[in-house]
Amino acid sequence: MNEIEYVGEWLWAAHIGRFLVALGFAAALAGFFGYLKGSLGKGDAAWIKFGRRAFIVHAISFFLVIALVYVLIFNHRYEFQYVWKHLNDAMPINFQISCFWGGQEGGFLLWMFWHIVLALVLIRTAGKWEGTVMTIFTAVQAFLASMLLGVYFGDYQFGLDPFLLMREATANINLPWTRNAEYLSMPQFTDGQGLNPLLQNYWMVIHPPTLFLGFASTLVPFAFAVAGLWKKEFIEWMRPATPWSFFSVMILGTGILMGGAWAYEALSFGGFWAWDPVENSSLVPWLMLVGGAHLLMVNRVRLTSVFTTLLLIMGTFIMIVYSTFLTKSGILGDTSVHSFVDSGILPQLLVYLLTFAGMGAIMMIGNLRERWLYTGLFLAMLLVGIFAAPLEMVVLFCIVIAWLFIRAYRKYIPKPQVEEALWSREFWMFIGSIVLLVSALQITAQTSIAVFNKLLEPFAGTFTSLHESTGSDFFKSLSEHNFAPSKDIDQAYHLWQIPLAFLFITLIATTQYLKYKDTPVKQFLGKIARPFAAAAILLVILLMSFDFEAREFPRVALLFATIFAFTANFDYLISIAKGKWDKSGASIAHIGFALLIFGAVISTAQKDIISRNQIGDISALNEELNNREDILLMQNDTLPMGDYFISYRDRYTEGIHVRFMIDYFERVPREFEQGEVVYFNEMFFEAKEAHTAGRTISEHLESHWLFIPIPNQRHANEATRWTNGHAGEFLFTLEPRIQLNEQMGNSPEPDTRHYWNKDLYTHLRWARLTPPETDENGFLGGRAHDVHVGDSVLVSNIMVSIDSLTAVLPQEKEKYALLEQDLAVKIHMTLRERDRTRPIEPLYIVRDSLIVPDMVEIDDWGLRFLVNQFSPVDQTINLTIWEHESIRRDFIVMQAVIFPQINVLWIGCIIMIIGTTLAIRHRYKLSRKQKNA
Amino acid sequence: MSKTHIVLVIVIALVVGLVISQFTGMSTSVGFQEAFANPGKEFKISGTLDRSRPVDYQPLVDVEATVFYMADANNEVQKVILRKAKPTGLEQSETIDLYGTVIDGEFHASDILMKCPSKYNEHNHSLETADANAR
Repeated sequence: MNEIEYVGEWLWAAHIGRFLVALGFAAALAGFFGYLKGSLGKGDAAWIKFGRRAFIVHAISFFLVIALVYVLIFNHRYEFQYVWKHLNDAMPINFQISCFWGGQEGGFLLWMFWHIVLALVLIRTAGKWEGTVMTIFTAVQAFLASMLLGVYFGDYQFGLDPFLLMREATANINLPWTRNAEYLSMPQFTDGQGLNPLLQNYWMVIHPPTLFLGFASTLVPFAFAVAGLWKKEFIEWMRPATPWSFFSVMILGTGILMGGAWAYEALSFGGFWAWDPVENSSLVPWLMLVGGAHLLMVNRVRLTSVFTTLLLIMGTFIMIVYSTFLTKSGILGDTSVHSFVDSGILPQLLVYLLTFAGMGAIMMIGNLRERWLYTGLFLAMLLVGIFAAPLEMVVLFCIVIAWLFIRAYRKYIPKPQVEEALWSREFWMFIGSIVLLVSALQITAQTSIAVFNKLLEPFAGTFTSLHESTGSDFFKSLSEHNFAPSKDIDQAYHLWQIPLAFLFITLIATTQYLKYKDTPVKQFLGKIARPFAAAAILLVILLMSFDFEAREFPRVALLFATIFAFTANFDYLISIAKGKWDKSGASIAHIGFALLIFGAVISTAQKDIISRNQIGDISALNEELNNREDILLMQNDTLPMGDYFISYRDRYTEGIHVRFMIDYFERVPREFEQGEVVYFNEMFFEAKEAHTAGRTISEHLESHWLFIPIPNQRHANEATRWTNGHAGEFLFTLEPRIQLNEQMGNSPEPDTRHYWNKDLYTHLRWARLTPPETDENGFLGGRAHDVHVGDSVLVSNIMVSIDSLTAVLPQEKEKYALLEQDLAVKIHMTLRERDRTRPIEPLYIVRDSLIVPDMVEIDDWGLRFLVNQFSPVDQTINLTIWEHESIRRDFIVMQAVIFPQINVLWIGCIIMIIGTTLAIRHRYKLSRKQKNA
Repeated sequence: MSKTHIVLVIVIALVVGLVISQFTGMSTSVGFQEAFANPGKEFKISGTLDRSRPVDYQPLVDVEATVFYMADANNEVQKVILRKAKPTGLEQSETIDLYGTVIDGEFHASDILMKCPSKYNEHNHSLETADANAR
């Protein structure tokens, strides 16, 4: 077959791009080699220099790769798969920038970009650590660069090529259009697919770069830890690693919270944290890093828990890689709302993960011979894994790693000579880190269910026989390996996380009052008495302003801990740090964290779905499976909802969004007098005393109302329907919207009204976006009703009442064009709408035992009637009513939630960031001072 | 025994408790057959939407009832009553996970997870149409 000369392709860009990726990969390997040789033994400056130069080449290559991808994006080169998938012509410049990280390739590039930036800083500042630290950095960069190579070994794809052309993509190979030299002029290549509607949001511009900087920054403490083990300097590495760890805590924390803010502001998840595997997998490393960073600080003063410090700091980076593995490999599959499909790089990601986990573990072993032994063992396992039994090898690998950690703890990692005293700061800081570790483990266990299912696969037979011999159902479920995460978040997460958070936050409140080495207990208790009392008072106020159920005791305890942490740190700030910036960082950060958790817990625990049971439907309360959380709003109807009256005014289209205008009015509560009679759901009640209506009748059912089992005539005459009030002054309009996207499905976006003490969060659950089907005359599909005389049916805004039935008299038959033998019944009905009424009389005609349909169309009312059936026995009329599209009213289904005190959460975030920044500044100063001393 | 060891023992006990509670507290994913054999018990069922039958959502009748048919992993098709407003993207979904219970011979789902074609999706449907156009 001849080579085809494709018209209009920027083939050169693909060539240059691939060359740069390959060059960057090779340069990373060369840099690794140089830095490694330069750091072995006593060190070799020439090799270090070589490594540094190679790294500069690597850095330049990848900066150019990134620049080139942007050139392709800005020029809308849709012949490139990556551009075609993530860009379209409709996207404004900010989304053109952010679509760069819309896919996995861009994600890797962004990650590498931050590694390079951090490495360039380290080359200048790390001093004697440069060689060892950069050995780790270049190794990581080589792994990441390999994910972008996009070369094939037989059928196996090694890396994802960001410069892949559309016609080269596996899915398209051999399709007829790929042999068309002018395929680029075909309509489907003049525009791309564009970003997923969920991602077309300003948070998409700022959240991923921050989060990826957070991810990248965890490599720095990891590299220092490995370097420390390598050089057997178990303590010295901690000095430069401490400020970096807190930097990482801050950036990663900010990135995670931005993700939460994104979910809250723009996605219809109904909250800011959904315990989704994607969110969890970045929270876990953060928790471990917080533990690790605090232990680093302790060790600066007193050598205590070196092993735990190493475990947490190295674990952080490993968990970052693990999180990448979980989210990018497709293994989570059907356990996450976020959808991930295997892109073929699972094995590569797995090898990357296991390599660094293995390396960390091996470095913990202080004996060179043993290191080589275990390296050999791991390589052998890797080979067996690739060619024969991957799952068994992964399990074996985990066991060996666990063994290495135990061995290192017992034999190689230095331990303090004297045991920490019970009332020492270092002991409780250690406990705090352990609490964080357990919390991280629990979240990981929940998130990794899909992985466990996979790893249980090879042992199904063993568990089956265990089940048969013991009869235990536990073994049976293990052998079936089809565990699914519980959808009950309270059971899956809160049950564990709330007590752990309680412990942890109580430690935040108290530990700073403990001194290193030992503290007199009386002095300690004396200091915490004041903030404890203050917290107790605040708790009482809290319990008076919010209702908590008894089963919510753990939540209340956690809230108390956050208040205590707040008062204790505030007290510390004023009485001990005395407002000196250098010493206040920690307290300010802790206050921020306490507020954050307080806001998160209270806004979730006390969230009020006000669109639920809007009128207080008593009969529905006992119904099983009653999770009515949505309100149906007909256009122009005004309905009570929570403390508001709302009305759906209209919709309009703006760009790719359809906006729905919902007006909010003040609720003017109804005043009831003593003895007033109301009915509700066909039940009668008499007011025991004068009172103001609550939101729903059930609120005051027992206190203010007397049920009337057998209403008399007076009751029936006087009774009015129970309502909670009427719409008062207009307050504001909220416009939840739907983003239209033909390819990926429409996506609803919420709108939120912010108050200082609460948020009113609303989003659309359903709205009609395609016009309804009508017949040729414009009538919608009719609806049949079984009615009796006296009944009425509401169609659109029109009340149709059935007044009476009369037989058609023989002398009238001519008037209705009926035959002599016909039997006919006249159905007298009245149509009512606001200020007009109209009587109509459709006929039910039977001719020779056949029904003659008599269709009645009322043009100016937009209705059509047909009596299908009349049963003389029970006088039931079966009536079909069609409405014309012109009178049909639009409606939407909406959900509205009140999140109380959610602003405390955001304020806490900001305070925490400020505090951490101050603490980093202080740590950095200290680290410089120690270096110079 | 030193304090560190006591802490370690507590942590190990916690982790063991955690693992056991994890595996016993979790639901398991099954097919319709098992769910119908155990009415009243909650299961997770994965499958695909049966596109040959319409998805029925009539908000005017019931705001929170969406009726559709789903084929489970064994290709058994059953009617499903989802106790929610019709989720966006249901028709586009590739796979569906339902959490629900059999009540009176019908599967009532209280929650749904859908896997939709999205940013991470490496397959794309529009190229198939592109191909059709090219021919």
